[in-house]
Amino acid sequence: MSSQFIYLSILAASLGTYFCRAFGVYSARNISTDSPVFHWIKCVSIGVISAVIARIILFPEGILGEATSFSRISCTIIALVIYFSFKKNVLLAVIVSAISFALVNHYI
Amino acid sequence: MFSSQPFKDGIKHAIGVPALGLGSSMFAFGAFLNSAGFDIFQSFCSTFFTFALPGQFVMAETILAGGSLLNIFLAVLLTNGRLYPMTVNITPVIRNQNVSKWKQYLTSHFIAVTSWFNMFAVHQNIKQEDKFDYFVGLGGFLWANSVVCTIAGYLFSNVVSHEILVGMVFINPMYFLIMTVSNLKEKMMICSVLLGASLSIILNSFIPGWSVLVAGILAGSIGYILFKKEIVHE
Repeated sequence: MSSQFIYLSILAASLGTYFCRAFGVYSARNISTDSPVFHWIKCVSIGVISAVIARIILFPEGILGEATSFSRISCTIIALVIYFSFKKNVLLAVIVSAISFALVNHYI
Repeated sequence: MFSSQPFKDGIKHAIGVPALGLGSSMFAFGAFLNSAGFDIFQSFCSTFFTFALPGQFVMAETILAGGSLLNIFLAVLLTNGRLYPMTVNITPVIRNQNVSKWKQYLTSHFIAVTSWFNMFAVHQNIKQEDKFDYFVGLGGFLWANSVVCTIAGYLFSNVVSHEILVGMVFINPMYFLIMTVSNLKEKMMICSVLLGASLSIILNSFIPGWSVLVAGILAGSIGYILFKKEIVHE
């Protein structure tokens, strides 16, 4: 792969990404925060994010794909248990689950 | 703008867990680019101009697989299509009559899952005229931090063990998960989240490339239709 092709690829990726954002700003020009569309699009946004999370945990690509399903699912449960057990402490839940994940992948 | 208190408050908000969550994955991405044969300036440009991690991974993997520029554009467009509803959703929240169009379009570059979640978590406590500056501080810091972390990951990839890198990649989805759970206060949101996750798993077998977007649209639409009568207007 040539250096020039990589830069063109970065440009293509940036344009594809920015199109989603810019078209979003354009589409929002007549939407107010108390309109039905606003609430619908908020539901769609959180639905998409939860779909992304489920896919990352169950069908990951890249580095996470090297880990076992057991480690991903068990450490996801650990994150939720820690979050609800320790006064909804986000930092503690995230750090403990990540450390558990690294340890499970190393030893199991 | 850059000397305003809301801008500084946005930066303060970003420092800590939000920056750690996103930065750790960007660090791992920088290490991945190093091992994939990218140079440091290419790594810098990827996060500086794209700032959407799943699409950045797709770009790098499509290059390695020998894909064309059109392949890369379409694959990234599909992967980062999730940013469209998030942008439509957050733009009316942060804009005010003093914010020009070009500033809205420029600032949209800072919209990502982390900045979206964190802005929604606090926006009701911020005056309308301050929300835009606050978001620029929050999203702008997360973006700048991501660029720095990508470079750091590229430079220190040989120092960090593979197990730690894998652990760092896991931080971001766990952060998204916890932020999602912490935002579940209305029935329509709970329904949208549960359906979005379930449909994504089911649809992945049939339409893997489109499963996330289709699942999100279906789940959000069903959640909205079922519980729209319970919306409390601000």
